[in-house]
Amino acid sequence: MAVASAGAGYLQRPGGGGTLADVIDIILDKGLVIDAYVRVSLIGIEILTIDARIVIASVDTYLRFAEAVNRLDLQAADDSQGLPELMESVTSGGAKSKTQGALEGVKEKLFDGDDGEDDKDDKEKSQQKSRSRRRTSRSRNKDDEE
Amino acid sequence: MTQTDHVVYVYGVVPASERPPAGLAGVGREGNPVRHVASPKVAAIVSDVSRAPLGRGQDIRAHWRVLDDAVERSAVLPLRFGTVMDSDTAVRDDFLTPNEERLTTQLAGLEGKVQLSVRGSYREEALLHEVVRTAPAVRRLRERTQKVPQAAAYYDMIRLGELVSAEIDRCREHDTGLVVERLGGLAVASHADAHTTKESGVNVAFLVERGRVDAFAAALPRLQGELGERIRLRCVGPLPPYSFTDQDVGEPAWA
Repeated sequence: MAVASAGAGYLQRPGGGGTLADVIDIILDKGLVIDAYVRVSLIGIEILTIDARIVIASVDTYLRFAEAVNRLDLQAADDSQGLPELMESVTSGGAKSKTQGALEGVKEKLFDGDDGEDDKDDKEKSQQKSRSRRRTSRSRNKDDEE
Repeated sequence: MTQTDHVVYVYGVVPASERPPAGLAGVGREGNPVRHVASPKVAAIVSDVSRAPLGRGQDIRAHWRVLDDAVERSAVLPLRFGTVMDSDTAVRDDFLTPNEERLTTQLAGLEGKVQLSVRGSYREEALLHEVVRTAPAVRRLRERTQKVPQAAAYYDMIRLGELVSAEIDRCREHDTGLVVERLGGLAVASHADAHTTKESGVNVAFLVERGRVDAFAAALPRLQGELGERIRLRCVGPLPPYSFTDQDVGEPAWA
């Protein structure tokens, strides 16, 4: 579809060049569920169960936020007020390393540009196996309740 | 190959009038061809897989590709990733036939509509600057903790982080609200999806008539301007209606 509108640049098709993280995010836990009464099983969920999907607030998170806030250079921001372009370059460029960490997406790290690389996928699988087992048993319990 | 080695992976449901895709490889290491199992009114998009765990990047991509292909041609009801059944017979007799009316109704409701997922990622630096600027309590605690050695300010630091975190949640709520308010009128329905990364500020799926996709996209730059520079907005789609299939089927009558 040739979209010539002003907003066309905002539209992305992750099936093509997008990140696997996007694809996973949009697919995972979505879609019709057929009830267990009709002999359905879900396979392959283990690797996809990523604890980072739940944004957990913890002491660790709080400390990282606090440190990031304390590192902020408010003076620099004041100087650049009214200069959006400069601000833009500050936020997306040099200053990024300073505050790295507090809002970091764990999933981006896990899946960053890996697409379809079997070795890496397998490694991820083993790393997440223990966590996934927990999840699997939890979802089974849920099925039982329903 | 014994029966238990081999199962039928189900991607989604389309009207039975649709033809199966040609030359599309399915999930699993074998990449078996994608085909249809049909009842009189609806058809399931399926492929054969061996009973081994899926979940490689390639599998997820394949699931995505098959449904992407389907939504280009007709309404499609995506099934959850990883759904398998024992055989074609099970797909037809246990899934399609008993649920035919519901599936048909749901498909009719999705006809001519696609999902557009609007996602906004926070730019940490800009966001935190704004939090410090707009929340006096954060500013005060920040000044206090900067004056003392970090170890001495441990509990204040936690408190500061808590405040910042709460402010970020407020930003999420506000930004999500604004996105739904501004774009809701161009959509048939909206669904706030969960935030799956820490930098996620907005994650809303919209169900949009195909004919309005351009108008929807055209509204984004202005909305981006309104939200300011703390967030970077983008829109993923058109997609199959992954977030709009919440009427699950096959539940026992008393559920």
